[in-house]
Amino acid sequence: MAEDNQNMLSFLSNDGKTIDVPRDVAERSLLIKNMLDDIGPVTEAIPIPNVSENVLNKVLEWCTHHRSDPPSTGDEDDSRRKTTDIEEWDQKFMQVDQEMLFEIILAANYLDIKPLLDIGCKTVANMIKGKSPEEIRKTFNIQNDFTPEEEDQIRRENEWAEDR
Amino acid sequence: MVLSLNDLPEEILHNILLFCHPCGSAALERTAQRFRGVTNEPLLWRHYCQSHFRFWAREHDMQAKLSSAVSTVDWKELYVSRHLVDSATGRLLDSILTSQTGRIEKFRSVVNFGYDAKDTLLRNISIDSDANDYLARRYYAEALLTCLHRSIAIPEWVGLRNDDAVPLVNALGAFDLFIPKSGFGNFDEINGRMDEVLARLLLEYPDIHNLSPRERASAIARYLRAHNLTGIEPGREYHSLEHNFIGIALDDPEHNSLPLTSAVIYCDVAQRIGLTARPCGFPFHVHVIVIPPTGYDVDGNMLGIETRGEPIYMDPFRSDKEIPVSDMRTQLDFLGASPVEQSAVLGESKTSDIVLRCSKNILNSVQRIIQAPGAQSIPVDVGCARYAALWSSLLLSSPLRPTELRHHLLWFMELLATDFPSDIYLVEQFIAPIFRNTLEFEHIMESLHVIRAVDEIPKQLKRRSTEHKDVSYHVGQVFRHRRYNYTSVIAGWDAECGAGEQWMMRMGIDRLQSGRHQSFYHVIVEDRSVRYVAEENVQIITPDISELPPTLVAVAGRHFKRWDAVTREFVSNITDEYPND
Repeated sequence: MAEDNQNMLSFLSNDGKTIDVPRDVAERSLLIKNMLDDIGPVTEAIPIPNVSENVLNKVLEWCTHHRSDPPSTGDEDDSRRKTTDIEEWDQKFMQVDQEMLFEIILAANYLDIKPLLDIGCKTVANMIKGKSPEEIRKTFNIQNDFTPEEEDQIRRENEWAEDR
Repeated sequence: MVLSLNDLPEEILHNILLFCHPCGSAALERTAQRFRGVTNEPLLWRHYCQSHFRFWAREHDMQAKLSSAVSTVDWKELYVSRHLVDSATGRLLDSILTSQTGRIEKFRSVVNFGYDAKDTLLRNISIDSDANDYLARRYYAEALLTCLHRSIAIPEWVGLRNDDAVPLVNALGAFDLFIPKSGFGNFDEINGRMDEVLARLLLEYPDIHNLSPRERASAIARYLRAHNLTGIEPGREYHSLEHNFIGIALDDPEHNSLPLTSAVIYCDVAQRIGLTARPCGFPFHVHVIVIPPTGYDVDGNMLGIETRGEPIYMDPFRSDKEIPVSDMRTQLDFLGASPVEQSAVLGESKTSDIVLRCSKNILNSVQRIIQAPGAQSIPVDVGCARYAALWSSLLLSSPLRPTELRHHLLWFMELLATDFPSDIYLVEQFIAPIFRNTLEFEHIMESLHVIRAVDEIPKQLKRRSTEHKDVSYHVGQVFRHRRYNYTSVIAGWDAECGAGEQWMMRMGIDRLQSGRHQSFYHVIVEDRSVRYVAEENVQIITPDISELPPTLVAVAGRHFKRWDAVTREFVSNITDEYPND
């Protein structure tokens, strides 16, 4: 689909790259949408100071795929947390290395793209699911900084969780 | 530096944890100092409490907890306590499913968790049919849940017996708590329905509080009639069992209820808006009596201090009009009631009398079903309804009518032994004391002793050995009775008729072709009864499960794990009794 010039914006990533974005795709980000609503038409590239080009491209790929999703209403907090299911396209989209996964989560948080943030968080939650503390440390490369006494105490406090 | 989980800000970690199972949060806490704060956030654990558990025992007072500041409640501790109840309930159910022995105490342990056990039981009731013991699991989870509900219902009638002030809706709603399909498990739920009725009435009559008692009385009747909340739809069988249950009537879209139930719905609404309204035990048809406050008449005019105004009568079951007392007197004259009797039936009924009247109505409806079975499909379990009626009758009947009481006790003890042995501790606590110092007391204690013994002594093993070589069929096979044509499943066998001489005489066993010296089978019938059938009357069938009566499939859970679609028979869950079947 050819994009009308009026409906095109450009973003400037923190590593100085300019990316052209259709307006409806850009508006998946509530940060951008609210900014445009406030200041009206923009001609210059909008700086996205926290996000690098490759992450921004990845985020925009998601926004493009979901450009015609109905906007979130904001009061769906409970229903959306009932499930950790992720739809197939999003699952494939999230098959990235951990660094990229966290980058996407941080970018979605900064740009205020709640559905993308939730998919990222669900992906991390699924990586924690059913694992022992040692397995979680291994998965996320976490250093155990407890003293043996502390470790023992916390283990006892959480013994209930092993009773399933 | 490579970005890792450590580097995410607290708010994002919190968002991740909202999607985790609480056990995942507990595991993450144990990995490093970094995560100790976020995994112990009260908000997180409040969320877990709300999203994992829907039903809470009353003593938690969840409503109050949820509306207080999040930091004033130890939400993690609360979650952990529920988690432990959940797994303990699951283990007890598993153990009930694996052995026929000692079930009474296991039931009791689950019931002692109160409403905290309900979520676990509901989960098991709706277990998928892929589970290898889904029939047994559903059956016993439902048995546990209704046992739990009864343990909430019965103390309300006991309170009534002790002259405690018990709200009418609770006294009548206790019957609903006995019925699995009613959907009600405690009194808050039924009162919640009445709150909704009242809220909608207030929308339509916002100024109702300013009306005189007479105007208020008719406004309520108009509202209830207009919204079909009282009475019975034309063309429906008046005596249908479900018309006796207030909760079922409130939930059903047609809201069909007997005059008694309609009157209680009316009185509850009226009392909530400040009227003194009580059921009035008019013969055949309960009315409502509305009494003006002392010192006023029903139109709100002042009378002398201490003067009581004349009451008015309503019949919310069939009318939104006041019923002139003269009409009622005429009817009573016609029935030949003496003036003393007339003033008694025109006065307020005691709540316990209303419960007893409902109990009688239920027993009547049950009688009709037993006499004319089939045709109508009944949403109310007949055995449970009868059991509820007998409980209330035993608890509330006047000791002045010992014959009826003795009758009900006999039926009750029989039903207890066959269908509700897990209620034995409720009987010990509430029924036995009523009969202390009577002849019946010893009988009750003896029966309870037998029920416990049957539960506690492991079943005698019935292996297939050479002496049983003539027993042609095995546990789990489905058959049609050659003479009576009912569908049934085999749940046990004897190589020869094992019943007493008297029973064999009565049943004419020796007139059978092969007489008493043939195999006999303990069977469960589609009407849930347990019978004893001679092999010559057994005609094995191999239907698809969809062709079996649903009642048979449901009750099969008592002895069977699941249906085997290949062999077309039920898979035994009583191998502790019949190891080779």
